[in-house]
Amino acid sequence: MKKLLALMMILVLALSLAACGKKEEEDVTPEPEPVAEKKILRIAESFAYASLDAHKDYNGWYTSIYGMTETLFKIGNDLSVQPLLATKAEASEDGLTWTITLNPKAKFSNGNAVTSDMVIRNLQRVGEVNDSYHDVSEYVFTKIDDTTFTINTGSVYPTLLTDKLASSAFGIMDLDAGNLDNAPVCTGPFKAKSFEPEGTVEVEKNENYWNGTVKLDGVVFEYMSDDESKLMAMQSGEIDGYSSVTAAAKQIYESDPSRYKVTVIPATRLQFYVLNKNTLSDNVRKAINLTVDCQDIANYLGGTTSAAVGPFGASAPYGKVTKPAVDTAAAEAALQADGYTKNSDGMYEKNGKPLTIKVCYYSARSLDTIATILERQFKAVGIGVELVGVEDADSTYRVTGDYDLALYCMIADKSGDPYYCVNALYRKGGDWGLAGFPNDECEALIDELKSETDINRRAELANQIVQMTIDDNAFGYIGLFNKTTVSAPSVVNIGENSPFDFYAVNADTDK
Amino acid sequence: MAKYIGKRMIHLVGIMIALSFLTFLLMYLAPGDPAVKKLNAQGIAVSPEVLEAVRKEMGLDRPFFVQYGDWALKVLRGDLGESYKDGLSVADKLAKALGYTAQLALGSMLISLLISLPLGMLTALKKDSVLDYVIRFFTFFGNSMPNFLISVLLMYFLCVKARLLPVMAVRSLKGLLLPAVALSVPMCSRFIRQFRAEILEQLSRSYVSGAVTRGVKSRFILFRNVLHNASISILTIVSLTLGSLFGGSVVVETIFRWPGLGKLAMDSITYRDYPVIQGFVLFTAVVYVMVNLFTDIAYRWIDPRVRED
Repeated sequence: MKKLLALMMILVLALSLAACGKKEEEDVTPEPEPVAEKKILRIAESFAYASLDAHKDYNGWYTSIYGMTETLFKIGNDLSVQPLLATKAEASEDGLTWTITLNPKAKFSNGNAVTSDMVIRNLQRVGEVNDSYHDVSEYVFTKIDDTTFTINTGSVYPTLLTDKLASSAFGIMDLDAGNLDNAPVCTGPFKAKSFEPEGTVEVEKNENYWNGTVKLDGVVFEYMSDDESKLMAMQSGEIDGYSSVTAAAKQIYESDPSRYKVTVIPATRLQFYVLNKNTLSDNVRKAINLTVDCQDIANYLGGTTSAAVGPFGASAPYGKVTKPAVDTAAAEAALQADGYTKNSDGMYEKNGKPLTIKVCYYSARSLDTIATILERQFKAVGIGVELVGVEDADSTYRVTGDYDLALYCMIADKSGDPYYCVNALYRKGGDWGLAGFPNDECEALIDELKSETDINRRAELANQIVQMTIDDNAFGYIGLFNKTTVSAPSVVNIGENSPFDFYAVNADTDK
Repeated sequence: MAKYIGKRMIHLVGIMIALSFLTFLLMYLAPGDPAVKKLNAQGIAVSPEVLEAVRKEMGLDRPFFVQYGDWALKVLRGDLGESYKDGLSVADKLAKALGYTAQLALGSMLISLLISLPLGMLTALKKDSVLDYVIRFFTFFGNSMPNFLISVLLMYFLCVKARLLPVMAVRSLKGLLLPAVALSVPMCSRFIRQFRAEILEQLSRSYVSGAVTRGVKSRFILFRNVLHNASISILTIVSLTLGSLFGGSVVVETIFRWPGLGKLAMDSITYRDYPVIQGFVLFTAVVYVMVNLFTDIAYRWIDPRVRED
């Protein structure tokens, strides 16, 4: 039996060898030319959405990041409005009507031209399907010719370009082609290759790109919400780069410049606090603002933020405001002028009642860390602190006004114009209005800013309004998040120099 | 048996009604507005007018009982609703996540049983030996390490240093390995101690010493008697663990990008995505009841005395 088995095995082996030999004899055709390796970039993203329909929710941020959609205008790294699918926009004398001229070269990845009809349909659709832009439904659109159309906004709207036409939600898609949720046909340098809802997104070079030659063959966007995983994927070489690098990871990357390139630029997400005028006297608010050391906070946060003076970056024309330097002696003098005296514990009190500030915060964007740093800084001058942490500020202290000092974080500059932020923060009737800051003078200035068309005057007005909030000690601006991007040294143009989160890869992106 | 199963199904309906009502109430009372979460997802301030319009559109301005009643009626018609976050069907989202969670749950359970059953038996048989102490030390260690630490350590040594596996778990057997091992480490540690205790308990019974006196082979006693008698306790431990694994493992799923139920539930709570949370709670209730039911049936099969009771 054993002999029989051995014989069969030898036979099988011999047949296999013979088959191999025959195969080798057959494979005499010349070897094919080596195929050039495709240049594919791999990027990690912290968010992922369930659809690629740029007009819905915040999907447009991501289709823009993926290099798929483009808007009529874009916001440059210097915060200026620049032409993209449109070459120019002119407002009528009464400011109600804008005439938009499209770039005749612009075309979709399927070769179809970008026409006035298609753009108008896109803009109208955003008004229908995006909750944040329902006001667009009231605009009147009129086609002049294939590359020219007008938009009548019904009221003077000087920020139409920054608020709407350059906003990523207004990415232009060919509404008659493709599947808008999974593979929309757009105008960007890349087009969808594969899409996993809330997962990995793969894009490939748009061979028909109208605005230059695309250097990469494709990009893979990996959804990774965990910071440690991103760090290790970068270390193992599985990804080529990502933004929103943590302070700890930044240190690791910076220690090895031969493997990693770290780019840090000031961005637009603001950490600030609101001082409640209804519960804190003028002198106490002044003492608080003289005590808070924003540079100390920025240092502690390891370079992920830059100390702020106002809500906007100092380089912006509407970011020219000033605030007093940290002066704890002056802070204590302000408290003493208000009748506070130090008790045996070194804490200020009045009529036997210790001075305690109720600081409300939530655990995101380092606000919890800032709250503890503020506690330390306040205690050093003799101000007691009651820390109140909540899960969700938007349904608690922000809408109830139950705080002395409320910490918050938001994007202050979403499109290179100050009106959105000023309107959200300082208006009467707004949530922060409960803290007692808004006044008629400020309200009049905000109204003027809303309809002012001159850019210089707009900056002047914004500076005036923000300065009022500083002088009144109604707000304190702590820090502006830096956009920190890490990549392999050879990688360029992944949005590392844009202060906005919604710009990433473009035709010039390379590795 | 059919009567018994029918009775358990009736219990299930009661549990589902009570759980869904309680969850809906808790979510309603908890701070957090789904409309704000939806509009403010990227940190952009929302105007009060837009917020009000969206709340109305989502039906959040209606009284609690109207919202709950509306949801419950839909569920009775077999419709779990749509996600507030992305408008996708809740049933589809749960089904997709369940597939991944099932792979992870079964994978980690398999690894855990393959390791902990033999080691549990070995430590019981070699009680108070050096081997017993060494294994128990490691189980103590594994039990006290949080999942995120195990995950990060595994990732660092196996993916970054040794380059044996990818950091980014692909949706395959290879991708499943690391998250399953990460889940298995504390599970094995717990199982080994529990199995050891149960086998020692059985070994101390008089039927074992009787069998030894009668000259029955020790291998026979161990596998036919001891293991068989310990199997009810082992089954209880395994089924309870399996039930919780099917509820998802948030930390491991997040770190390894494994899109299972735990991550879905966590994201839904963060976004105040009520329909998905409700669907998840219902699903978890069903899983627990079903796992318990199958365990009870298995008890009856293993031990006829349970059937008589």
